[in-house]
Amino acid sequence: MTDRGSTVARPGAHGAGAGSSAQRLALLLSRMWAWLFLALMVLFFVIAVPLSTGGSVNFLTVRNSQNILVAIVPVLLLGLGQTFVLIAAGIDLSVGWVMSLASVLSALALRDSFNSGAPLPIAVLAGLAAALAGAGAIGLVNGSIIAKLKVPAFIVTLGTSFIVRGVAYLMSENSTVIGLPAGVRAYGNDALMYYITGPGGGLYFLDRPEVGGELLRRMEIIFPYPVLAAAFVVALMMFLLHKTQFGRHTYAIGGSMDAAVRSGIPVDRHLIKVYMLSAATAGVAGFLSTLRYTAGSAVIGDSLLLSSIAAVIIGGVSMFGGSGTVIGTVIGALIIAVLTTGLVMLNVDAFWQFIVVGAVVIIAVLIDQSRDLIMGKQRKGAAL
Amino acid sequence: MRKQVLAALAAGVALALASQTAPAAEKLKIGFLPGVVDPFYQVMQLGVERAAKDFGVDVVTQIPPTWGVEAETPLLDAMVARGDLNYIITAPVDKDQMIGPLKSAVDHGIKVITVDTYLGDGDYVKGPVKFPLSYIGSDNVEGGRIAARGLAKAIGGKGTVYINSTNPNVSSVEGRAVGFKEVMAKEFPDIKVIGPDFNLDDPNKASQQTAAALAREPNLAGVFGTNVFSAQGAGTAVVNAGLGGHIQVVAYDATQLAIELMDKGVVTLVLAQKPFDMGYLAVAFAVADAAGVTSLPARVETGFAIIDKNNVKDPAIARFIYKVPGK
Repeated sequence: MTDRGSTVARPGAHGAGAGSSAQRLALLLSRMWAWLFLALMVLFFVIAVPLSTGGSVNFLTVRNSQNILVAIVPVLLLGLGQTFVLIAAGIDLSVGWVMSLASVLSALALRDSFNSGAPLPIAVLAGLAAALAGAGAIGLVNGSIIAKLKVPAFIVTLGTSFIVRGVAYLMSENSTVIGLPAGVRAYGNDALMYYITGPGGGLYFLDRPEVGGELLRRMEIIFPYPVLAAAFVVALMMFLLHKTQFGRHTYAIGGSMDAAVRSGIPVDRHLIKVYMLSAATAGVAGFLSTLRYTAGSAVIGDSLLLSSIAAVIIGGVSMFGGSGTVIGTVIGALIIAVLTTGLVMLNVDAFWQFIVVGAVVIIAVLIDQSRDLIMGKQRKGAAL
Repeated sequence: MRKQVLAALAAGVALALASQTAPAAEKLKIGFLPGVVDPFYQVMQLGVERAAKDFGVDVVTQIPPTWGVEAETPLLDAMVARGDLNYIITAPVDKDQMIGPLKSAVDHGIKVITVDTYLGDGDYVKGPVKFPLSYIGSDNVEGGRIAARGLAKAIGGKGTVYINSTNPNVSSVEGRAVGFKEVMAKEFPDIKVIGPDFNLDDPNKASQQTAAALAREPNLAGVFGTNVFSAQGAGTAVVNAGLGGHIQVVAYDATQLAIELMDKGVVTLVLAQKPFDMGYLAVAFAVADAAGVTSLPARVETGFAIIDKNNVKDPAIARFIYKVPGK
């Protein structure tokens, strides 16, 4: 276990530990660089997209911004749980497959309860309950083994991810669960507001206007339910992390496990809760994807683990634990989604997104490391 | 002061006028969104690009890196959000889950043509899904039947055969397995069919699954690989087990690897689809629809070339092998 090293003021600094204005600027930049990068990227696409299409396509449209919000939901939800885990100096490699399992469990629960006579809203709630229960169980197992048996998180969550994947396949029927009631699509795709542009249009709240043809084509769907759900989870996580003892304890454990133990924090129980939280956000993500595609899929979360970790790192959570914010993860997820969407708009091969995201992740870690160099601190990092 | 204001106003008016210049001539813009990166879709892209050149239309192409709704849907949504596409030609990666996202594209004024795979039951006239313009692809059930008869003949009408497939709930490979099992059940009762296993488009997994089937099934006489990756993986497993030539493999999709394996005697029959036709026809249909044609057929079956070692050198047949220049 490690201690953060003591502050050593750089010789020639203006007063002990205060730092010069250049240092303060550099520090500020290092904290804000993700915001700046996002803003620059958006600016780039706003200029480049109309240029490359001769003015026929615009980047910052209502539809596009809504698409981006919908696209970040799974990665963001996985990243939110991962944020807590990383701040506590752990890691959760099972989140992608927990999302898939949750998707399968919620589809099965939804379908079975609807077919045995429950009204649709109750069946949907049953689906959510199944997703959270299944995910929570995995989180409990992860947290218990990591905290009580002191096995490294990397290994435990890797192991459970394989088990979860097998269970998801076995419980689904050839890796998908179909046959859900048709009304489910509305839960996954309807929205808070609908705006029909032009003549005959208007703003509609919650009630999807039954129009066709030209009016339908001009309809903008604003804040679909999955986006609202994700926003609610973001607000909840921000409250948890920054305003509660739970959050403070998480930072403390990540900063120094020894100090946390010595100051009386119930570290074991806390770690279990943190891993359950991480699994729970993956559970919500799986549930929402079942609603969106009206099917449970045992493979839907597979590719999302690495993107979620990238989002968290880009957002400024330190890989060594002890620092990071929820809003940083949101920015990180946005950067990835804006990049993908922008590349499609530019008609550039979307594979370039992987190269750019990889480069940005490395830059993020370098900036994270350099933050301490700027302040003259020595950091002894914790191995994962 | 007034001169500066007037100059600014003049500049502003000039700028406004300049941005009102006539837009580029209304060229048709078509989006092409296949299933995944593989030689079959690469040949289809050749057809799409050739037709785009011949008809003078613009094509925006995006290829998902993996097979799955979570990979295809964000690309589809981004294409719709562009706002400048008139048609989208796509191979839906799930016949149920892609209904929602593609219907959303249609709601936004983009017409959809499905190639290689279909939505719902593929009947866009009388079936549950009616919004796509047309389905252009192989009659995969018939393809499965042809494969079954070919494999049965190669193994002498009895023994055990194994199906290795890619993804569940995909109309194309599903149809092939259905047709295959149908013929085996009706015409070759002495042949036992095991599988399908799903390799999720991973040739390594296909290889492992086939190797496992080889190990546990003593009477295994034949393997049916239902598409590019299945055939590749299954063929490799047979070669690695040293059973090339003793176990007959029928491969759907005429990749260069499948043909190589046929030359080595591992694969006995290759069914080549016609992806170039699918791509070209899809663009042609879009152009025709834009021009006001209303009698486009809702289903076009592009047929097969059945390749075995007797006709593989015949140029009229060899032209259907999936070859992409420069790859």
